[in-house]
Amino acid sequence: MSFLHINNVHKRFGETHVLKGVDIAIEQGDFLVLVGPSGCGKSTLLNMIAGLDSISEGELLLDGRCINDVHPSRRDIAMVFQSYALYPSMTVAGNIGFGLEMRKVPRKERREAVDRVAKLLQIENLLDRKPGQLSGGQRQRVAMGRALVRDPQLFLFDEPLSNLDAKLRVDMRSEIKQLHQRLKTTIVYVTHDQVEAMTLATRIAVMRVGELQQLGTPHEVYDDPNNLFVAGFMGSPSMNLVKARIVEHDGVLVAQVATGDTTLALPIVRDREALSDWCGRDVILGLRPEAITDPASANHRDGNIHEAELPVDLIEPTGADLYVVTTLGDASVNARMRPGTPLRPGERTRFAFDVSRMVVFDPESERRIRDEQVVDSALEETA
Amino acid sequence: MSNASPDRDGGARERLQRWLPKLVLSPSCVLVLFFVYGFIAWTSYISFSDSGMMPDYTWVGLHQWSRLWTSWTWGIALHNIWVFGLLYIVSCIVLGLILAILLDQRIRAEGVLRTIYLYPMALSFIVTGTAWQWFLNPGLGLEKTMHDLGWQSFSFNWLIDSNMAIYTVVIAAVWQATGFVMAMFLAGLRGIDGEMIKAAQIDGAPAWKIYARIIIPQLRPVFLSAVVVLAHLAIKSFDLIVAMTGGGPGNATAVPATFMYSYAFSRNEMGIAAASAVFMLAVIAALIIPYLYSELREPRS
Repeated sequence: MSFLHINNVHKRFGETHVLKGVDIAIEQGDFLVLVGPSGCGKSTLLNMIAGLDSISEGELLLDGRCINDVHPSRRDIAMVFQSYALYPSMTVAGNIGFGLEMRKVPRKERREAVDRVAKLLQIENLLDRKPGQLSGGQRQRVAMGRALVRDPQLFLFDEPLSNLDAKLRVDMRSEIKQLHQRLKTTIVYVTHDQVEAMTLATRIAVMRVGELQQLGTPHEVYDDPNNLFVAGFMGSPSMNLVKARIVEHDGVLVAQVATGDTTLALPIVRDREALSDWCGRDVILGLRPEAITDPASANHRDGNIHEAELPVDLIEPTGADLYVVTTLGDASVNARMRPGTPLRPGERTRFAFDVSRMVVFDPESERRIRDEQVVDSALEETA
Repeated sequence: MSNASPDRDGGARERLQRWLPKLVLSPSCVLVLFFVYGFIAWTSYISFSDSGMMPDYTWVGLHQWSRLWTSWTWGIALHNIWVFGLLYIVSCIVLGLILAILLDQRIRAEGVLRTIYLYPMALSFIVTGTAWQWFLNPGLGLEKTMHDLGWQSFSFNWLIDSNMAIYTVVIAAVWQATGFVMAMFLAGLRGIDGEMIKAAQIDGAPAWKIYARIIIPQLRPVFLSAVVVLAHLAIKSFDLIVAMTGGGPGNATAVPATFMYSYAFSRNEMGIAAASAVFMLAVIAALIIPYLYSELREPRS
């Protein structure tokens, strides 16, 4: 039995079907990130877990107990809101202690709990201030303190970092992660930022228009996406998607991409069994930018590197990497190369494709074409 | 020459554009200066003069002011305005807040109810006063209706009871202004972050505690605005009282404004009337000026 079990949960607002049967199960200590574009229903789902929205259909189990009709305050959860939702008329200490006060915890115990959390979050010197006197990052800490002080079974975070500036967001992100590792709490976290999802989660649930697209570890969601949507949503720059045709060439299954005057043939190593049924049919290839590099940076160990000479359309140095844009088929393709690779737009250069990381999609259903059992060796990261 | 002329034309147009707004605004500026500030100054002067039925510009110093403060009727008027103002402000705020909280519960006919509560504000004080005078008149209104319905022992004669008459004025004034105060509070309630209420629910606060501890403390600016608006309405109140009780029975509902009117126009004591008018202006200014100062300054900071 899993710790939090979202069992075929639906949500309807009148005629609109906001959540269309979501199934998610996580274990104690998991950090589940619900991620998706706005309007995908992730915040609604979080509000339903919190008890702030009713459940139209389905079942919500926390530690084996059905909490469908339990009042938010009795679910043993705490929530951190996007706007922080601090009580402006109370001091920081009052804010953090309010939940305990409502639960009739004696003043002395309350004070101790508040001090302990304030110490943990390094906000001891702010306890007597009002929220209006705090900076964004400090408010964020107070909001987390208010959740932590009650030591609940489940923490809910609703886009807690979206109101912070870029640098602070990165800092707070790692603090949340450290906090999770130290306290071993179970967290459900909503964000639209796939980088936050990748860095924080132990489990990612990718959602789109009320449907769960994929539930898995960050690694699974990133390297082994279920469909085109997940492939395109996770990762920045996003996965390159190229039209291709599967053909059998001298007994070897290859994906053919017509590009300019030549035809590129990328050998299939992953999902060979499933793809053998697709001979002669059009598919969509998915290749992460880091799976296309300069030959010197490529991982030649497994012999899965396929090289081809292609034109350089554009180069985009980011400092840490050099993104090279080329054309494959009729699509622009991003390749990640070692910074300082001497290239100029208009030149032709050799690109190294790591075909072991190539994923293939059905252009009609947009679903992934994959074998029943995923071959683990194919998923090993390139060094 | 031909080069200079468009330049000059442009210069003339520019000058006109610069002066036009000032030209357009100046007549009303002059009128306001004369009829508002001019007459304030004039009234202030009159309060230090020997004026009786007609203005008399002989300077008598604080003579009229000392007569005002030793006047027995002025004492009654001041006492009445305290009772009226305090009850009026407190009742309007309490009732307005309760109505606003009830209306904020996402009820269906909110728009209609809001309009109904706001309608009394659209009536003039004269109409309100006259209507309530009829309604509370023992021979015409509530008491007679009850008697006609067979409840012979029913008695409600506050309007003609000199100890209670001031409270009938309070009832009418509260009836008129409560909807307005409610609208102010409703706007304040709508401005409160919904996530805060959700957070309080998760924290386990019952609804009344959410209001008492979290929402109402945040409505402080609305309380301030309501008090200032109601306080100056109370001090200015004149037409409502004239229409309802005429200041009576006797002097039972006399307030500074009715005092001023009767001394200026029926008792031929223009000097005292001017002094009372200046005093009322000073009290209102003491309320409004700090309020306006804080309100107008805020956007800049």
